[in-house]
Amino acid sequence: MDEAFEIEAQALAQILDELDYFQILKIGQNVSPTEIKAAYYRESRAYHPDRFSTLEPCEVKDNIGRIYKRINEAYVCLRDDTKRAKYLADVIGPERQKKLRFVEASEQEMKKEKEQEVGATPQGRKFFMAGLSDMAAQRFASAERNFKMALTYEPNNPNFKAKRDEAAKLVKSDMSIR
Amino acid sequence: MAEAGDIAIGIDLGTSYSCVSIIESSQPAVIPNEWGERTHASVVSFLEDGTVLVGNSAKRNIITNADNTVYSAKRLIGRFYFSDEVKKAQAVMPYKIIEGENNSVRIQIRENVFSLPEISALVLKEMKAIVENYLGHEVKKAVVTVPAYFNDNQRQATKDAGRIAGLDVLRILNEPTAAALAYGFGRDITQKIAVYDLGGGTFDISVLEIGKDVFEVLSTAGDTYLGGDDFDDRIMTWLAEGFLKQHGIDLRLNKYCLQMLKEASERAKIDVGRDGQAKIHVEGICQDPTGKVMDLDATLSEAEFNKMVMDLVQRTFKVCDEALQSARMTAQDLDAIILVGGPTRLPIIRTSVKHYFGKDVMAGIDPDEVVAMGAAIQAHSLLDAKSEHYLLDVTPLTLRVGTVGGYTDKIIDKNTPIPIERSKAYTTNRDGQEKVKIRVYQGESNKASECELLGEFEFSGFRIGYRGEVRIEVTFEIDTNGIVNVTAADVETGQKTSCTIRLSSGLTEEMIKEAQAKNANTQLARGEAAA
Repeated sequence: MDEAFEIEAQALAQILDELDYFQILKIGQNVSPTEIKAAYYRESRAYHPDRFSTLEPCEVKDNIGRIYKRINEAYVCLRDDTKRAKYLADVIGPERQKKLRFVEASEQEMKKEKEQEVGATPQGRKFFMAGLSDMAAQRFASAERNFKMALTYEPNNPNFKAKRDEAAKLVKSDMSIR
Repeated sequence: MAEAGDIAIGIDLGTSYSCVSIIESSQPAVIPNEWGERTHASVVSFLEDGTVLVGNSAKRNIITNADNTVYSAKRLIGRFYFSDEVKKAQAVMPYKIIEGENNSVRIQIRENVFSLPEISALVLKEMKAIVENYLGHEVKKAVVTVPAYFNDNQRQATKDAGRIAGLDVLRILNEPTAAALAYGFGRDITQKIAVYDLGGGTFDISVLEIGKDVFEVLSTAGDTYLGGDDFDDRIMTWLAEGFLKQHGIDLRLNKYCLQMLKEASERAKIDVGRDGQAKIHVEGICQDPTGKVMDLDATLSEAEFNKMVMDLVQRTFKVCDEALQSARMTAQDLDAIILVGGPTRLPIIRTSVKHYFGKDVMAGIDPDEVVAMGAAIQAHSLLDAKSEHYLLDVTPLTLRVGTVGGYTDKIIDKNTPIPIERSKAYTTNRDGQEKVKIRVYQGESNKASECELLGEFEFSGFRIGYRGEVRIEVTFEIDTNGIVNVTAADVETGQKTSCTIRLSSGLTEEMIKEAQAKNANTQLARGEAAA
């Protein structure tokens, strides 16, 4: 490893937490996907840990490892058009310092999952809830009707479908018992 | 700087067969054993005299020394004892599969108990010996390949196997990535390619973009429960049911008959692929109730075989759809298709792949040897670090942490380039709390029960305070081997905390040391050339 590179790597590692992803990949904020990829390849050539595989464990090696992980992190975010747009808004905004590292809102994910569970539309939710209380009271035929109604508002909700099928099955077995 | 004569070998540790390669005059070369065999059955047979036979000669012992001969160990490596794969293996394997501590799997041979890494380490020891015999000096370093879709437990166990065999494992490398490396090595091409890797026990598909010096994996997908063995199983079922109908005897009820049946099925698969028809004849497969010795005779046509396995073939394309979608590509965007793994020699696979991708598959690549060759290239370049190429690989599975109510939260997405890390802050939820427990999973479901548990990490040694006062930052890292490391630190003081892994089927340092000694003391028997 040449000395100039070692100095550069050490300096970069020092300020790593102050840089945004564009700065990490050494590109402007309005680059094209092709340029992002080219930059990622260029930085990989410089910092890929395989280049330093024979280096004994030391501070420089650790720092190179840290830098390269950040390069990957930057690439994952910037190569995705949606994430890049959101990230750009984050880092040019007033909360830049807090948002240098992109975190996908897992709350959002949870909200979406929750919506799928209980319904994303008011009417769908209403019928679904009615169906659930029918199920609890063992009124399976009525539950099936309510789930079917809920599905007319949200035809692709997997949770609604599963519940409808469950109710339909119970209706059948209920009938066969009698 | 590498010492003179220092060398690193590339090992393809397969479910059914293994292969070893080194770089000779700047080109990867497969190293044959003393009988000129280039691939070696991943079979370990424990002989009466305490020596161990590995490879094609051991394979013959599956029938004659069934209780003491272990095959397809890769199907079990890194699995928990309660997993379906282990239950399935217990039903068909003639060797004894027992439960070890912490839900681990062990194999009992006579009075001895072995972990799965110890079994694989014997295969690796043989691979190492083949090269040492060829070169006339010791080798210590290796790159070992795994299916791209292997999870952390399976990778860790494979790495342990390497260490037990006395190897310094420079890298755990994904098989399709290795194949792509061997394909693109020194060719100066810019292409988008797919590697379709159907092995003995696993299926992988990787989509890559390769350039002059860069090999970027865009996506990978797979099925670690689908392989050539499943094709054999179909033939086996067909043969057994035919025999049952004809003679009223179910050959599957006897483990000895079952092994003969299995061997005949594998041979039939190869014959039908090569000749368009297989004549199956097994002499003395069983006795009828009167004691009369019976033979098994059948003829398998290609059409019939294709019908039997069509759903398995279709299953691989579902996985291909997934990989292409993750890479945001369609089959038309690809420049080349590379086939890897013995079963891809079958015409049914070749035609179906050609049809699916709308493109001829790449000719001139040996599907049995290309992975070992890629491993050798990578081993060589890691040895002198003067490498002119870079592998940009990804993690195949989403990394998750357990949350309340049996759910999980995403930490690192699948198909994220590695190495990578991500931190998450936790606060204590009780006054005076001394420990934080985190369960780590891999998988694509938000339900914990549908993901693979990697382990339960327990962090302690942070400040004690009121609830919500102490913040612990947990860092999840996936390294270049695709192996997960979890560390934690007190946010305020930066103090690293200590970690214990509560639930993990892996081996402890102590167990590895013990196994190393056992492995080093085990004598490899020399068999004879295959007939």
